[in-house]
Parts: sequence; structure tokens; C-alpha cells
Amino acid sequence: MTAIKEYAALTRLTLIHASDAVRKGETTSVALTKAALEAFKVGDTTVNASIALDPEEALETAEGLDKLRKVGRLLGPLHGVPLAHKDMYYRAGKPCTCGSKIRGVFRPAYTATAIKRLEEAGSITVGSLNMAEFAQNPTGHNAHFGDCHNPWHVDHCTGGSSSGSGAAVAARFIYGALGSDTGGSIRLPASMCGVTGIKGTQTRVSRFGAMPLSFSADNVSPLARTARYCARLMRIIAGHDPSDPTSSTEPVSDYEAALDGDVRGLRIGIPNNFFFDGVDPEVWTAFDVAMNVLESRGAMTVRLEVPHMDDISTYASVVSRVEGATIHAQWMRERPEDYSVHLAGRLYAGYAIPAVHYVEALSRRGPILRALGKDVFAKVDVFATPTIRMKVPTLAATDIDAGAPGAIEAFGAISANTRAINYMGLPSVSVPCGFDSKGLPIGFQIQGRPFAEAKVLKVADAYQRDTNWHERAPTLDV
Amino acid sequence: MSKDIERQVEEQAKAWSGIAPPNSTSRDFARGLAETVKGFERARGQLVFENEPSSFEAALQETKERER
Repeated sequence: MTAIKEYAALTRLTLIHASDAVRKGETTSVALTKAALEAFKVGDTTVNASIALDPEEALETAEGLDKLRKVGRLLGPLHGVPLAHKDMYYRAGKPCTCGSKIRGVFRPAYTATAIKRLEEAGSITVGSLNMAEFAQNPTGHNAHFGDCHNPWHVDHCTGGSSSGSGAAVAARFIYGALGSDTGGSIRLPASMCGVTGIKGTQTRVSRFGAMPLSFSADNVSPLARTARYCARLMRIIAGHDPSDPTSSTEPVSDYEAALDGDVRGLRIGIPNNFFFDGVDPEVWTAFDVAMNVLESRGAMTVRLEVPHMDDISTYASVVSRVEGATIHAQWMRERPEDYSVHLAGRLYAGYAIPAVHYVEALSRRGPILRALGKDVFAKVDVFATPTIRMKVPTLAATDIDAGAPGAIEAFGAISANTRAINYMGLPSVSVPCGFDSKGLPIGFQIQGRPFAEAKVLKVADAYQRDTNWHERAPTLDV
Repeated sequence: MSKDIERQVEEQAKAWSGIAPPNSTSRDFARGLAETVKGFERARGQLVFENEPSSFEAALQETKERER
């Protein structure tokens, strides 16, 4: 019992406190890793956030890191910190299921750049996390590995597709995790699970070794409890990678150093159009209160119109659907029964979208982003919206495979606000801003100009200095 | 419209990709494309001759955050 209490105390440390504690010799990498593994063991029967843990390798790595620290050598800003990642990041020789039956025995021959950079910074990968099959649903359902359950209320969705990443961070199994975001797949679980999640500017982080979904909209980024911890993880993984020629050569600034809490005079746009259509009153109230918090710090809110939102909504749905359908075509011909019902159904429709409309959607991306620069970012520094317009739904109400009425429409509605941001390619961070009447989290998202990761994180951090939603932890009924 | 689009999707998927409807839910997703078609109808006339996909990379640079 004492050991369990000690482990619980360690998992409740923050990412930065855990890192500092190892550096100062107040705890060890082995102790943190054992605590994380024990947390999964105790709590994951309820949450189902993991797909595979690797205790032996994790502890061996931790022992090595502790030996290095004893001789005064620290690998980097994550020395000795256990993490776990969505099961779509390749690690040489390790299984990588992509949340699917189809890739059930896949063992990649190389390691994802983002994982490599995190491990070179001293982190320990303790295992792989549950996810939507091939990262293609916004709820956290998974027919092959079991649905991931929201640690705040296990009947409810975690959000997806980075379901295990959101749930594991929220449940305090792990200090941070990589997710991926093509239409909201980091920000949706961040919002539904009450943690912080950032999607970088399109091309900001290398996608080498990350399972592809939609090459125009895929993003590799982290989830953690706060903006500050996301900043630390993001700085480590961002930046050009020769193995991914599409990754940006734009310099990476010190995101953590930018977090000074000073948002005086900062202009925050609040859209009049699109983003609040049909929004739940409880979500709207939480959003308004969040804006009041930022105003009380000296930020100014400005009402504005975001141009072309109807077009963006149409185009965004086409781009990822066509690109996803393309890379799955051979499996859809040869073994469609190995996909879950909803994924095979969603992919199928993609084969009938005319190429001229797909190219139209891609071709208008540049002009629309320029219009956004003129009509939005000439007037404000960032703009904010609810991450999700509705309250967290139940798994049953959104189970397409079980034939739940309205579930297909719910899939589209959940990601309406996030998917649009991927089309624009903007950096966006989702921040917890309260709980609904059933005790489930609510989040809002902050968007900035391309490569303004430091700014969106700064606003998120300023908000978190005056609120404590991110400090609240669910009590697991284990 | 919904029956038409369901049939069109089936013909297109079969003719171009050799893919048959994998389950009955796939027909529901196919019917959902009717809204997407309407979205493209509304957007007609906005794409201009010079627009092309690589303009997005240029727009990221043109609209990016700059140090002050």
C-alpha cells in the first residue's frame, strides 16, 4: 500500500517537476518509470488507454539514464521522464498497430523522428497508446483493441483519434504523449479529457515514421497537462528533418521562454460566424468566462468574421477523405472486412469524389489563408473558439458500428471547429476551461498565424496561470 | 438526390477503384456526400485560373508570424 501511495505521488508530479526531480537526484528515472507502469496496471483496466506496454525495455532504459545522471551527464530536458505515444509512431523492430487489425503484425524497420528526438532528450517510451483505427474517428471507438474510456466518466468518449494519449495524460498514467492531428485528433481528446493539446503549423514537425493519413493535413504534436509542458515537448520535436523534405526550415523559437503571462494589449478575435453555430449553452458559458479571464489579464477581445468558413468546411472534408481513401485502396479491395464498419464506410465514400474537386480544395487553400491573413490577423493576434461545440457525448450515442441513430452526423459535428483549422494550416492549442453539468471537461482552442506556436502557447499559459482546471484529476473507479 | 448519389458513388468506386460497398453503413456515408456536393455548388466561380495547390506553402510564409 505504501508503495502504491509513493507511485501515485510520483505520477501526480508535473512533467517539469518530474524532470527537475530526476536532475536534482530527488527521485530516479527508475522510480518514475515504475510509477507510470503501476499507474497503467491499476487504472488502465478501466480506461483502456494503452495498446502495449514495454516494462522491461522501459526499466532498462531508465536504469541507463540513472547511471548517466550519477556521473553528471544529462541527455536533455526530458532526462528520465517516462512518456507513451499513440500507436502510430514507428519504432524500429517494435509492433505498431495503428489501432488496426490490418497492421496487427507490422514491425517497422525505422524510428519516427519525433520519437527519436524525444528519446534523445532523455525521455523513456513506456509503451504505445490506444487510438482510433488508422486515426480516423473523433470519438475514441476502437473495434479491435476496445474503446478508450473517458477517465472522468467511463461511459463517455475520450475524443479521437488520439484517444489513449488524452486519456492517459488525464488519468495521470503518464506526463505527456504524442498524438497526431489531421482534423482535430489532438485537440478533441485534449478537450474531452481535460488536458492541453497543441497542433503545430502544417509542416512544423517532421512526419517521418508517423503513420500517414492525409499528407496535406497530418500533424505530429503533443498532449500534456498544461501549455508549458506542451511547449517543452513541442520545442524538442519541432524543426526541419532531412528525412521529411516537407518539414519546414523555419527556425524554432524557445516556446517555454515565451511563457511570461503577459497578454496585455493582445487582441483575441472571437468569430461571429460558423464556430458558434449550434453551440451548447454550457460550452458557450465556459468559453465566455475563459475570455473574461484573459481580459482581466489585459487582453482585448474583438468580434470578427472569419472569411470563407462555408468553403473551408466543404474543402476540409474532401481533402483528408480523398487522401485517406487513396492510401487505403488496396486493403479496401482485398480485405474490407478487416476494417471496422464505420471506417470502411467512411473510406468508401472517398472513392467517388471527383479529382477536380479534390484539386480545387487544395488550390484554394493558399488564397483562403491569404484572406485570413488580411481579414483576421491584420486585426487580431490570435482567435479563439470552443474546441467542440457540444458537450462530451457518450460512447453509445456515437457508436456507428452499433447503428446508433445520428452517430454519422455526430462524427462530423464533433470535429467541425477543429477540422477547419487543419485546412488553414494554423497552429492551435486546446485548453481545458471548465466542466459541464455531468462533470465532463470543456475546452477552447486558440489559433495564431502560421508558425506562431509561441504566441498561442503564451495565451494558453497566461490563462492557466489564473485557472486550475488543468490541475484537476479524475478519480478512477477501479 | 440521395438514391442518385448512392448509386453514383457505387458506380464510381467500382469503375475507378474496383471497390464495392463494404457494408450497409457505407451507403449512409455515400448519401452524406450530397451535402458536400452542395458545398461545391456554393463555391463555384471562386477558383481562379492561376490558383494551384503549391500556393499554400507560399501563403504559409506570407502570412506567418514575424518577430516584432
